[in-house]
Amino acid sequence: MSEQENHGHHSDSIHLPAPTTWPVVLAFGLALIFLGIVTNPAISILGGVLTVFGTVGWFRDVLPHERHVDVEVEVMDLNIRSTRERVARMELDKPGRYAPTETYPIVSGIKGGIAGGFAMIIPAMIYGLIAQHSIWYPINLMGGAGIANWTDTSTANIAAFHWQGLIAASVIHAITCLLVGLLYGAMLPMLPRHPIVLGGILAPVLWTGLLHAVMNIVNPVFDQRIQWGWFLISQVTFGLVAGWVVAHQSRISANRNLPLAVRMGIESPGLMQHDHDEKSEDRH
Amino acid sequence: MSAIPIPVHQVDQPAEWTQPYKGRVGMYCLIAAESAIFAIFVVAYVFYLGKSMYGPTPGQVLEVPIFNTICLLSSSITIWLAEHALEHNRIKRFGAFWAVTIVLGSIFMIGTGMEWNKLIYHDGLTITTNVFGTTYYSLVGLHASHVIVGLLMLLAVLVFTLMGHMKEEHAERVKTLALYWHFVDAIWVVVFTVVYVIGR
Amino acid sequence: MADSALPAPGTIGGAIDVTPHHKAPGTFLETLHSWVVTVDHKKLGIMYVLYALVFLLVGGVEALCIRIQLGRPENHFLSPEVYNRFFTMHGTTMVFLMGMPMLVGFMNYLVPLMIGARDMAFPRLNAFSFWMTAFGGLMLYYSFIGGSGLYAAGNAPDVGWFAYAPLTARAFSPGHSTDYWTVSLLVSGVGTIGAAVNVIATVFCMRCKGMTMMRLPLFAWLSVVTSALILMAIPPLTAAQVMLMIDRYLGGHFFDTLAGGSALMWMHFFWIFGHPEVYILVMPAFAVANEVIPVFSRKPIFGYPAMVAASVGIAFVSLGVWAHHMFTVGMTSVGNAFFALSTMIVGIPTGIKIFNWLATMWGGKIRFATPMLYMTAFLFQFLMAGLTGIMLSVAPWNWQLHNSYFVVAHFHYVLVGAILFALMGGICYWYPKVTGRMLDEKLGKWGFWLLVIGFHMTFDFMHIPGLLGMPRQIYTYEAGRGWDTWNLIVSIGAFVQAAAVLLFAYNLLVSYFRGEVAGNDPWDAWTLEWATSSPPPEYNFVADPVVTSRRPLWDMKHPEDPDWKYE
Repeated sequence: MSEQENHGHHSDSIHLPAPTTWPVVLAFGLALIFLGIVTNPAISILGGVLTVFGTVGWFRDVLPHERHVDVEVEVMDLNIRSTRERVARMELDKPGRYAPTETYPIVSGIKGGIAGGFAMIIPAMIYGLIAQHSIWYPINLMGGAGIANWTDTSTANIAAFHWQGLIAASVIHAITCLLVGLLYGAMLPMLPRHPIVLGGILAPVLWTGLLHAVMNIVNPVFDQRIQWGWFLISQVTFGLVAGWVVAHQSRISANRNLPLAVRMGIESPGLMQHDHDEKSEDRH
Repeated sequence: MSAIPIPVHQVDQPAEWTQPYKGRVGMYCLIAAESAIFAIFVVAYVFYLGKSMYGPTPGQVLEVPIFNTICLLSSSITIWLAEHALEHNRIKRFGAFWAVTIVLGSIFMIGTGMEWNKLIYHDGLTITTNVFGTTYYSLVGLHASHVIVGLLMLLAVLVFTLMGHMKEEHAERVKTLALYWHFVDAIWVVVFTVVYVIGR
Repeated sequence: MADSALPAPGTIGGAIDVTPHHKAPGTFLETLHSWVVTVDHKKLGIMYVLYALVFLLVGGVEALCIRIQLGRPENHFLSPEVYNRFFTMHGTTMVFLMGMPMLVGFMNYLVPLMIGARDMAFPRLNAFSFWMTAFGGLMLYYSFIGGSGLYAAGNAPDVGWFAYAPLTARAFSPGHSTDYWTVSLLVSGVGTIGAAVNVIATVFCMRCKGMTMMRLPLFAWLSVVTSALILMAIPPLTAAQVMLMIDRYLGGHFFDTLAGGSALMWMHFFWIFGHPEVYILVMPAFAVANEVIPVFSRKPIFGYPAMVAASVGIAFVSLGVWAHHMFTVGMTSVGNAFFALSTMIVGIPTGIKIFNWLATMWGGKIRFATPMLYMTAFLFQFLMAGLTGIMLSVAPWNWQLHNSYFVVAHFHYVLVGAILFALMGGICYWYPKVTGRMLDEKLGKWGFWLLVIGFHMTFDFMHIPGLLGMPRQIYTYEAGRGWDTWNLIVSIGAFVQAAAVLLFAYNLLVSYFRGEVAGNDPWDAWTLEWATSSPPPEYNFVADPVVTSRRPLWDMKHPEDPDWKYE
């Protein structure tokens, strides 16, 4: 397997800490002090004496210099050169076998989320005007969670203008749109072929699922008054616009030919090929 | 496979190799463990504040030990000055400041003793009196026992210094011991705040 | 060290120990003396592990007695008093006298070898720590014969391993049995803290040249994390025990509810120690898996930085989950929610670890030697144990099953299924290094399969009486509650496990004298301990090693394709 060249012997001397009795004496003394508590004070006194001896002895061991013993050794120096040329590598999948080689960057999902978030406002406003004759109605519904003293939940109050409601709704809307966009972008490499269809279907499913799961906790008023038909229209608007934005982004290489560890940014020695032109497929 | 050699020479060797002083790392570990113990006793003290069924209460009997506190905290400064002196090989100056540190620490212990004397014989507060007595004596006593251990070790160093064994090369070890002393002082800040400021 | 010129690229300079060994074997007393006064981390490590194995057998006998007692309804094999002592001593022994010494022994033996050091940072403190641990354990067992008790059979602790107040008060626990529990754990706790300080200082200050923290073998990394957890977790127990001593000896009122004290505080303090303790015990199991799985999969560990981060993450999270042992004491709903969620969060770093181990095995050339068999079982069983853990972290589910045999089955799944399996795998893996002899592979495989069968018989079926409402720590039960058959199966399984452990111990003994000579590196491994002879000389390495990658011996064996090219 490997050649070894002998480069001769030499002697060496190694310092090692000297064996010593004091740690065991000290430990025994301390243990006896405690044993005396449960048996007889005389044992504690004996333990105390041993503790003092152990401590003093230990100090004398390490001060002013730690005691040590020297061990003489013989060393043989050698250089090793391998006679092998290659190492068995894991064979990696050919590019494009399971997924396309190109995909959209994650940032495109966030951009889509922002655009979809703005587009979504329009059907929501239309819903407010048609259903309650107020554009503030859907905003206050969404912002309900952000207003600490939201006690009057009559329809008239919800349809009126509240600046706290507007701020809270804007913050919630912006954050959620960004997060869904991020989630959408992160899922793009898995299904990158039809972003508009994907956005029109997947994003509403994601969004509705997330909101449905937590709505009763974060915003009970909204949960009671929700109009699922209009809700879905808003979702689909979001998804279609987000998908359209993504579809107009430039594609990047999907790096399918790199192992998972490398794509995750985890460096893993031996798995990564040092240079790409050298295809090492021979195993031994 | 034949015997595997120990790798000693390789390409790309790192130019220099420095690691922290082991005493210091060990002391930091000890301080972490001690802090955990103190944390539990402090939590117990705070939790049991006002839980006593009968007196005396902290407000009735405790007096703020300002002088003691000043002594103990200033001993941190003197021990730092002593460390500094040793690093510059000024052994006499080191011994002087070290002795001052011990005196300050001893004043603190005497003060604590007088305080306890007053609490026990004048106010009738012992460890069995009530929950306040139990937690107070355990927390302050735990700290005091650390001060005593610290003083004993400081004293040992002073003896070595007077015997003329202390040299500049021991600066690392002395700094490690001083680290412990700083820790004891820092804990006193916590104990003082909890017992004499918040707890009264 | 040699002063020869640097080797050419593609070659590596090495050093071989050719010191002539002509030591005459000493008399028995000389040998004994050399072991008592030793400060050598290897001898101390061996003593730790042997000490732990002895207590594994002792604690195992106690477990068997408990299982005989519970095997049939309305049984009177043990008296109720002895039964209480046995389950208390079984728990205390297995956690403090078997688990912790075993893992400290592993760390002691392996960490200096893995980082290329000659000894621990504080060799004398190391000896002191071992003897404190040892005397603590002996003191605990001395209570069986020397307790100044009222009963003829002596007076061992009988308050459960968590020793809840107010049962531990003078009024309910007369005599000194509880005090034995307290002082012996105090003493051994001091030893454990000393060992932890030592391990951290060793790893931070004694690494050989080139061994950066990101090249540290994962075993050493996890030893640091374990030690840090010990430093955070053992002192609260020590503090609580000091409080208990103050209550019992000086008449304090910490846990005395009549005087305004609080029994609940003991629970909090105990579990602030008790939950991290679980991770203290399981981290070394992870550490062993991190070393064994890559070697037997012939692949480097997958996701090294993620493993380090996950270990540190588990350590942090584990400090904030203690009250999930206390859902039934009546906390606020915010408290319940917090501890349920924090407990579930542990699942994330743990899941990362399991996936990393699987990814290490995936696509590798796996060799199912005995150590690897233990690791495979460890992976599977640890996953199961984690899943029941997630179930128990859900507060309403926990209200239903708290202190039932379901909980007992869950934590035994962790302690036996994960930790004991991993540690036994670790013993199989490093036995050739420690003794210079190979373990008998056939006996090893028999022992493994017997243990797997016994383990699953016992602890799979133990969940069921728990779900049917059987509480833990009960002395006996009526027939016809639907628990009888399950308990019988569990008891039979316990004996199968005992047979497996005995076979394992027999294998350790026999192979020491008759095993095949191992050579330096029987597993074709990659960490530094395999570069020195087996058993290693007292100075470990004849020359100071220099490393340039995470797998120094890979570089040594494959100079044409060393790891450092990829770092």
